[in-house]
Amino acid sequence: MKLTRGEVAQAVVAGVGGWLMLAPSVLGHVGSDIAQSDRIVGPVVLAIGFLSIFPITRLLRWVNLLPGAWLLLAPWLLDAPTDATISSMVAGVVVLALAPVEKAPQDQYGGGWITLVRPSDRPDK
Amino acid sequence: MFRSDLSGETDRVAGNQAIPPGWSSNPSAWGQRLPIAAVATVGFAIATYLTLFQYGVVDTVWEPFFGDGSQNVLESKLSRALPVSDGSLGAAGYLADAVSGVLFGVNRWRTTPWIVVLFALAVGPLGLTSVLLVIAQPVLYGSFCTLCLVSAAISLAMIPLAVDEALASAQQLRRVKDAGGSVWQAFWHGSDTA
Repeated sequence: MKLTRGEVAQAVVAGVGGWLMLAPSVLGHVGSDIAQSDRIVGPVVLAIGFLSIFPITRLLRWVNLLPGAWLLLAPWLLDAPTDATISSMVAGVVVLALAPVEKAPQDQYGGGWITLVRPSDRPDK
Repeated sequence: MFRSDLSGETDRVAGNQAIPPGWSSNPSAWGQRLPIAAVATVGFAIATYLTLFQYGVVDTVWEPFFGDGSQNVLESKLSRALPVSDGSLGAAGYLADAVSGVLFGVNRWRTTPWIVVLFALAVGPLGLTSVLLVIAQPVLYGSFCTLCLVSAAISLAMIPLAVDEALASAQQLRRVKDAGGSVWQAFWHGSDTA
């Protein structure tokens, strides 16, 4: 089975979410504000990334731009230590870079969700 | 209503394909739905076990990784924020997933859209709630709960498996609307693709 670019990219995004869940324990800053941030954003990025692996729910990938942007801001707003800052910044860059990858073909789903608002995209039209 | 056609590729009613127009396979085929029901049943078993602990029927809860994490989470204030425990709500959710997942035959995306929508409504919010609880565990209580995480993973994994059927139903209702038919009628009593 050949993996598509989108599947790999979204799996990586999900992995970043998993890392954020672990980061406070691994980096040893449990209890700090940046740790709470990681533990809130982590499950969101993981869940959205996971769902975006699948063509039928790939549209959700755009949602991850929001936590991705927060990851770039959080270390500066929350006065994070250096290692947590690097972790958050790298995670943010990866999420922002990979979240938009990539539109999934909808030809096996009757044109996909877009046909509900734009029926002209239906293949049977 | 109940058909024995496991592949779900054909319909006994002449002129009606079981595969939705423009689709490569039938999202209501048993091959797609039975795995969801099986996964939901596993989720139901886990949630039931956690509920038994929350109500003191079993004294200890299995926790291989996080020490007394499961106990902290399962006895937290948030887990009892509603009149019944969150575990019991999860069990009810999984049961609703399993039951609404197996009801009706391989044409249900078009013959009974209401059950497909009900199914999607049972699967979607359960997954969303699980993610919120995964956030709450460490942020509010500083603990993780292994079986709660497993349950969350299961409920999340069901979403992509389940929503394709909802899309097929929604497209069918949109077709009915565009053809000038009654969406209300088609939602409850079904419609033809022709």
